[in-house]
Order: sequence, then structure tokens, then C-alpha cells
Amino acid sequence: MLELRNISKIYNPGTVTELCLFENFNFTVSDGEFVSVVGSNGSGKTSMLNIICGSVPVSGGEVLIDGKNINGLREYRRYRLMGRVYQNPAAGTCPDMTILENMSLADNKGKRYGLSFGVNFARRQRYREQLNELGLGLEDMLDVKLGALSGGQRQAVSLLMATMTPIDFLILDEHTAALDPHTAETIMELTNRIINEKRLTAIMVTHNLRYAVEYGTRLVMMDKGRIILDKTGKDKQETRVDDILDIFNRISIECGN
Amino acid sequence: MLFFATTIDGLQMGLCFAVLALGVYISYSILDFPDLSVDGTFPLGGVCCTIFMLRLGIPALPAILLSFFAGLAAGAVTGVLHVKFNISKLLSGIIVMTALLSVTLALTKLLTRTGLTTTIFSFRSENLEGIFSGSISRLLGDGNRDYMILIIELIFVVAVKLIIDLFLKTKLGYMLKATGNNEMLVISLGRDSGTYKILGIAVANGFVAMSGALYANLYSQYDNSSGSGKVVMALASVIIGIAVFSKIKFIGNTTAVIFGAVVYSLCLNYLVLVDTNGIYLKLLNAVLFALILIFNEKTSGFITGRKKEKRGSAAC
Repeated sequence: MLELRNISKIYNPGTVTELCLFENFNFTVSDGEFVSVVGSNGSGKTSMLNIICGSVPVSGGEVLIDGKNINGLREYRRYRLMGRVYQNPAAGTCPDMTILENMSLADNKGKRYGLSFGVNFARRQRYREQLNELGLGLEDMLDVKLGALSGGQRQAVSLLMATMTPIDFLILDEHTAALDPHTAETIMELTNRIINEKRLTAIMVTHNLRYAVEYGTRLVMMDKGRIILDKTGKDKQETRVDDILDIFNRISIECGN
Repeated sequence: MLFFATTIDGLQMGLCFAVLALGVYISYSILDFPDLSVDGTFPLGGVCCTIFMLRLGIPALPAILLSFFAGLAAGAVTGVLHVKFNISKLLSGIIVMTALLSVTLALTKLLTRTGLTTTIFSFRSENLEGIFSGSISRLLGDGNRDYMILIIELIFVVAVKLIIDLFLKTKLGYMLKATGNNEMLVISLGRDSGTYKILGIAVANGFVAMSGALYANLYSQYDNSSGSGKVVMALASVIIGIAVFSKIKFIGNTTAVIFGAVVYSLCLNYLVLVDTNGIYLKLLNAVLFALILIFNEKTSGFITGRKKEKRGSAAC
């Protein structure tokens, strides 16, 4: 279980550009939940993810995992508990290394990175099977460098790498935003399948309202650092894109956009 | 005949600097860290090796290998300055380079007090029994000494190359590559990328120091000013190697860097033939380097083409 308790976040404190994004922000994600987070730009979605992952420090409050405070845990330590897929397909993989090398790296997460051979040849067949399941024809490209792949293919590999080893949370940071509609659809379905198969707890930030409505077990809308909509269970299943869009438009008018 | 002698000399220098270039290949190409401390660690390796041999009586080969650790320590300082104290890559290199100027001088004094040398630090080949004048070379006769030097150097360079190749195939080596390529991935894998940076810079400077030790052996004397211009030299070698030779099939990056070092040294030596007074040597050197960069830009853009892509963690 992930808990954000009384989080406050002030950017540039003490200067003219001071910006208070979160004030007494509370958010809880139970095990097994697949939360979709929507909201306009500047609503605090990505900041929330960054606070969870430790990429930015909090000004106040606590981040708890299973009741334990992880405020003092540095970013890289937190990723031992979670996987993250970024908006930029290049961020989750190493472009100068082959698919096989990348997957071997990810497969070793949580173990020592010592002087034993980097490529896990014994598991080559398993990697092929995993790539085959993606349905993108990557299984025959194990020795191709990641940099030569398309954005969608890279994102698929990123997703695979992020979920290869057991993790408590999967963080999806607008991970379909940089892809064309068709590829985005493929990646989204893939994401859903992996989350269901591995029974992962996931938080997905997205600008695609349809994905937020169609996928996941919980829907959260944020605005100006507050949660203004939180639907779960049957309530969530009955939500339509238009309902969300209405609220979205109302907020935008209030903002004067 | 002069041309021939220059070629031989250039090859000897080139193979010696190949070790230097291989070290810089790790910091510059793998870790994306233009490390200026090289100018300091090169003579550091030389002076440490000389101390090991003259004061401690350690034979040449182990002395050269031991000097690796001197470079390792100096490189670690550069890495720590950059990673732990957020000093920029260039500045942390400059700081260590400057500090090492004094360190090597102080170490040189350590040698003078033994009475082996006079105030001006220099000694002859009889004192410094390098690995290049062993029994094998005597076997072939003094006339072939030049070739023997080349053969022994070649064995040494190939050994270093194979070790680096193997190292880069390990999990640790992969993490170094990933650190230079996409630091975010290393963090995502639950590791501190800073540790790998420090380690990589340390190892790179270890090889640089070894090259300095080899250099002292090659010329049978330690030269306090041998460090100047080594960054440019090494970078030019690496860039020529990657831009020209790594394009050839079956030539890996490390082999290409060795070729780059040899070709660059040969060019430098031929420049000496052109400019006998040595006044325009550095200018020609700089022009040569500039030409290489321009050529590289036109063909592949290895340096500028590797701009880091923006990471996806934009603040909201």
C-alpha cells in the first residue's frame, strides 16, 4: 500500500516565482489497484509521481509504503520497489546496447552487478518468448541495438524491462503520449495485460481520457494540486468519457483557458 | 633513412599512447565524461613507476602494473568531486590535474633525496632498467632493439585491450555503458549511477597512469612535463579511431582506438620532420586536431551527434 500523507510541495520557496502546488495533499493506493490519473497541465500529476519516486523532494508530509516512511530513501533505492515507464521511449532503455543486453540488465535488477558476464545466454529463449508475446516481431531482433527501434517498439521493451523482476508498484508516466494512436493502443493493451497477469499495483498518468475510463480499477482527476474526482468499483465502470470531459471543460473555463 | 626512423619512433610512441587512449575511451566514450585530470595522472603513473623501480627495487612490469593504482586513486578523486560535490565534469578534472602537478613534483623530490639524481631530475637507461631491455631483446641483438620494443609494446597493448573488452562485457561493464548512455536507466534498476561514474573514471585514469609508466620506460627516464597535452592527444586518438577505424568491419571500438593512437602519433612525428625548429609544432598539432574534428563532423558526427535526449521526467 502506498500512502501520501499531508504532502506539501512548494517550488522556488522564498522567491517571486514561489509556487505552492500541494498543500496537505493526501492520496492512498491499495494493493492491486490500477489507478488512472487525469488532469490538465500543471495540475500536479507528474509532480505526484516524482514525489512518489523521490525525483523531487517534498516540502512537508510523508510518503509511506506499507506503513513505512520512505522520505529519506533516495531515488535509486526506491526503484528497487517500483518500476517506471516514462513518456519518452528513449528514457527506459539503453540505445547503444542490444535488446538482449538491455533485457539482461533489467533481468538482473535487485541482484549484484559484478564481474560475471552481462548477457544471460541461458535465458535467451525466455527473452524471445517474452518478446514474442508483445507481437511486434522483436523476437528475431535480440541482437539489434535499441536505438535502431521505433518509439513504439522501444516503449514496449521499456515496459517489459520495468516489469521483468518482481516490483510493488508500476509507475506509468504518460507512457503512450509520444506514440502514434495505433501504437499507443497496442502499448496500452499490453500494459493492461501485464498489469493483470502479474497482478501489479499501478499508477498511470495519462492525457487520454478514454484510456483512463476504459482501463484500470480507479479513476482520479486532479486540479491545482487537489484531487477533485475519485471513482472506484461500479462507480468507475459506469463513468463515460463525456462525463469526465464535462468536468474537464468546467475546470478549464474556471481557469480562463 | 630519417623518414624510416621517424616512422619507427612514431609507432613506438603510438603504441605507448594507445594505452592512454584506451583509458580515455572509457571515460570519454563509455561514460561521456571529458576527463581533464588525464594531464595529471599520466606523469603520476610515470613518477610512481620510477619510484617503485628505483626506490623499492620492484621489477619493471609489476611496477607498471602497480602504477595503475596510483591513477585509480587520482581518478577516484575526480569522480568524487563531480558526483558527491556536484562540481562540473570539466572543473573536477581541472582541479585534480592542477593538484597533481604538485603531487608529481613532491614525488619527484622523493627520488632526488635518494641521491640517484642531481637537481635537474633525469637519469640514464642504465639506472632505469625498463621492460624493453630484458634478456629477450639481447637475444635478438641490439640492432633489433627497436623491433623488440614494438613487439613488447604490442603484447602489452593487446593485453590491455582484451582486459577492457572483457570488462565491458561484464554486468559491471554494462552498468558503466548504461551510465554514459542513459543514466536514468541505471537509477531505474535501483542502482546509484554516481558509484559507477566514480568507478569508471578511476579505472580510466588507472590505464592512463599505466601509459605514463610505460612512457617512462620507453624513454628510460621520467619527465615531469610529459603530462602536458595528453588530453588532446588522447581525445584525438579516440576520435580518429571511432570516426575512421570502427567503421571497418570486424574492428571493434577498442581496436579502432589503438589504430587511432598509432595514426595520430605517426602524424605528430611527421610534423616534426616538416618543422625542424619545433616552433610551429603545437600550432600544427592543433590544426591537425581541428582537421580531424571537421572531418569527423562531415562524416559521422560522433561527438555532436551524441546529444543526450531529454528525459521524460519533466516537472509538471
